[in-house]
Amino acid sequence: MIGIALVFLGGVITLFWGLNKSESKSLWILRFFMLLSALLSGAEGQGWVDFSELFKWVPAHMLNFNAFKLSMVSILSFFGFYILSLLPSTYKKGADVLGLFAFALTGAMMMVGSQHLVMLFLGLEVLSIPLFVLAGSEKENIYGNEAAMKYFLMGAFSTAIFLLGAAFTYGGSGTLILSEIQMKLSFAAHFGEFPVLLKAGVILMSVGLLFKVSAVPFHFWSPDVYEGSPNRVATFMAVIVKVAGFVAFAQLINTFSPMQIWINQWIVPVSILTILVGNIAALVQQTVKRTLAYSSISHAGYLLLFLILPMEENLPILGTYLLSYGLGTIILFYLMDKYSADGEKSFEMFKNIKNNKIDMAALVIGTLSIAGVPSTIGFVAKYQLFSAAFSQNHYSVYLALLGSAISIAYYFKPFRYALAETNEVDAEQNSINGLFSQICLITGMLLIITLGLLPMITERIF
Amino acid sequence: MELILIPILASLIWAFLPIKSRWIASGLSLIGLVVLLTKYNQGSFPDGLVVFDQPWLGESVRFTMVIDQITWFMLLLTQLLLPIIVLSVKDQNQKLIAWAFLMQAGLNGVFMAQDGLIFYLFWELAMIPIYFITLQFSEKDNFVTTIRFFIYTFVGSLAMLASLIYLALLSGGSFAYADLLNTQLSHAQSLIIGGGLLLAFAVKIPIFPFHLWQADTYTNAPAQGSMLLSGIMLKMGLYGLIRWYMPLAAESIDFYQPIVMTLAVIGIIYGGIIAIRQDDMKRITAYSSLSHVGLIAAGFFTLNASGFNGGLLQMLVHGLNVVGMFLIIDIIQKNANTRNLSELGGIASKFKFFTVLFFIIVIGTAAAPLTSGFPGEFMLLNSVFKYNSIHGLLSGLTIILCAVYMLRIFQKAALGSNEIAISEISFVDYLPLIIVAFTVLFIGLFPQVILEIFPLSVEKLMLEISNAKGVLS
Repeated sequence: MIGIALVFLGGVITLFWGLNKSESKSLWILRFFMLLSALLSGAEGQGWVDFSELFKWVPAHMLNFNAFKLSMVSILSFFGFYILSLLPSTYKKGADVLGLFAFALTGAMMMVGSQHLVMLFLGLEVLSIPLFVLAGSEKENIYGNEAAMKYFLMGAFSTAIFLLGAAFTYGGSGTLILSEIQMKLSFAAHFGEFPVLLKAGVILMSVGLLFKVSAVPFHFWSPDVYEGSPNRVATFMAVIVKVAGFVAFAQLINTFSPMQIWINQWIVPVSILTILVGNIAALVQQTVKRTLAYSSISHAGYLLLFLILPMEENLPILGTYLLSYGLGTIILFYLMDKYSADGEKSFEMFKNIKNNKIDMAALVIGTLSIAGVPSTIGFVAKYQLFSAAFSQNHYSVYLALLGSAISIAYYFKPFRYALAETNEVDAEQNSINGLFSQICLITGMLLIITLGLLPMITERIF
Repeated sequence: MELILIPILASLIWAFLPIKSRWIASGLSLIGLVVLLTKYNQGSFPDGLVVFDQPWLGESVRFTMVIDQITWFMLLLTQLLLPIIVLSVKDQNQKLIAWAFLMQAGLNGVFMAQDGLIFYLFWELAMIPIYFITLQFSEKDNFVTTIRFFIYTFVGSLAMLASLIYLALLSGGSFAYADLLNTQLSHAQSLIIGGGLLLAFAVKIPIFPFHLWQADTYTNAPAQGSMLLSGIMLKMGLYGLIRWYMPLAAESIDFYQPIVMTLAVIGIIYGGIIAIRQDDMKRITAYSSLSHVGLIAAGFFTLNASGFNGGLLQMLVHGLNVVGMFLIIDIIQKNANTRNLSELGGIASKFKFFTVLFFIIVIGTAAAPLTSGFPGEFMLLNSVFKYNSIHGLLSGLTIILCAVYMLRIFQKAALGSNEIAISEISFVDYLPLIIVAFTVLFIGLFPQVILEIFPLSVEKLMLEISNAKGVLS
């Protein structure tokens, strides 16, 4: 709760304070609030502090945060902070863009904490609507306009489908509170037959969420939208939307856990399809940004495998995976943003990275982590997920492993230009980081390596 | 544990501090050897000495490091070869040394790990540096070759990971070696699990149809990359075969034995024949290496003592010899700017001492009696012959084929009237060669010194394998 309050407050203050100032001046305020939210929510998640007295007035059947969700809120705020710290602004005047980032993050946190379908829907909308605007925030860029339009149409459709699903669920169970739906379902499970309305409801709601996390076959919008949006917004979509989307998705599926066997029948094919299509399509992409978009699609596929597990005891796996995915993705998007500044969009942009040791290390560590190579957190996350999923379904894990083998072929493409001695370097390209983003980058790398070598820390976090 | 931390530390020092002296680098890499000889050689550990044991992830994975006689021997191989390799690094490639140290840490971990997931962790950790070495320091754009190499090995590794996860699931969630060993598998399970493990090791060794990454990678890699790959890296696969595949999936050995034996024998002859027709010295060495490790793999799969002992001995010998060959190729290439046999010749008339060393290493690789190649190869052929006389006869051809291509290298490069311009060979270049040539003669004359290192652990290992096999049959 404290996270939502702080980030919202930060957004409002930034809006007023930054009305006539340049973005960089008001950015510090928002970053501060996001970091504070990350720290306080994290501390509350660990049980070191307790703010529940402050927010007694919030009905617990609407919004409620347990320890895991507080950790996720903390991670979301941290990612928000990290994105705003690493990726520079493309928007020169006013702080309205920053306010939209803050409000979208608030929506993501509401999705994480929702206990009620209306709240979940509200979170989804509060997250999406600022993003529709943000996608088109470069007004002169026609690709940005296309992206905004596409994202808006797709988002509106998927929300409508989600809403229809929620209505069906209400028709089938007579309630919108998640825990009560679960109770009704357990009763129905005794009779061995689930109401058709509930089945339709969960399918339609899942489709709505699958749109949001860009799972195959609902993924077509995402590479186009990522490519058109400013890099910072694309990163925000790839990370924040997916993290919040999957926590909410896991909770939704957990609500319908009495019909888990039936749900697995369609989750597993969707997951495998997402992994394979994402990875194979990424192989043939020409630009780095589209490759990253397909990479994030394939990660959505791995994460869908999580939904077939019994939820409660496996939540740490979800947390670790989302953490590793977010860290790796933000670092790679940062590098892509930095080295595509001169207009080069293909992998050749990385040939200038040789001038900068820290960026080079970040490229190596970020790539290894997101590809799931051991000694990084990416491996720990993938290992935990796969070994848990293996006890449920052997074949999906074999195919997921095949998918990660394919992914090596495109994740390692930058090294061709970044490392090989034979490529000449553009000496004029000066690439000096600001001190602050340098510190952020090193922090991220250290997190990836430390959590990869000492995974017992993540067990303690979640 | 020092054997892992010291190399990592050395690697960090080398990567971030501006020191540029290969003597210091070799000194740093010698620390490992010193630690190994002083700290862990006070007695032999046939049952294994637990060096380190801490929980790593939940209750299922423990960070366990154990040294027994076979492990000690593999560690010896690594620590012995690394200073030689580091000493030969060219001055402009100093950053390569940092990767080499990281690789040393990975290799030491692979050999000591006694937990499935930790083994996998170090297995991959050893692979990352070699990927970057081959990519970064090669002479031309090497991306396609290296990515092929990495994907080949990564697919194998993932198959191994799947097998280990499956095995751990059956053992009740624990990855500890002892638990995995005591898990009983049905026939179908053992085929799946054994197949995954075998794929990983067969790609790494490489056994015949999985060798396609090898020749190009060796040829395009910098000399030190080829040395690390063929000298030490391949031994990971062979070690995995006897330490991880055979005891853990023993139920599947009966099924895979004839397949692997046949493939290995095909590889022996195939590698030898192709080597004869090559012009590039590095390619010849690559294919000769395919042929030699094929024989070692075949020897292990015969499951008799002579095969195991001979195979282990041959691992060390092949490591030293192949590193020696790559050293020679590197020196020749540095001076003559080519390594094609058709353009070389006449080294003998100018550099007598170099030619003597060259010849010693050549006959050592060709396994002439009284050189290091002979005892191991003899034991291996003996064991393969015991398994099946046709396999034995065919793999015996390796001695003839090897003599043909090795003497061809010597004849075309060292003899002949072709005058090539070799300016000078410095002492730094000579030193590693002298060490290798010395071991060729020493092991050739006293193979018993090496063979006495590991007999008890080999016996124990073979007992474990036959026990595990006996459960089912």
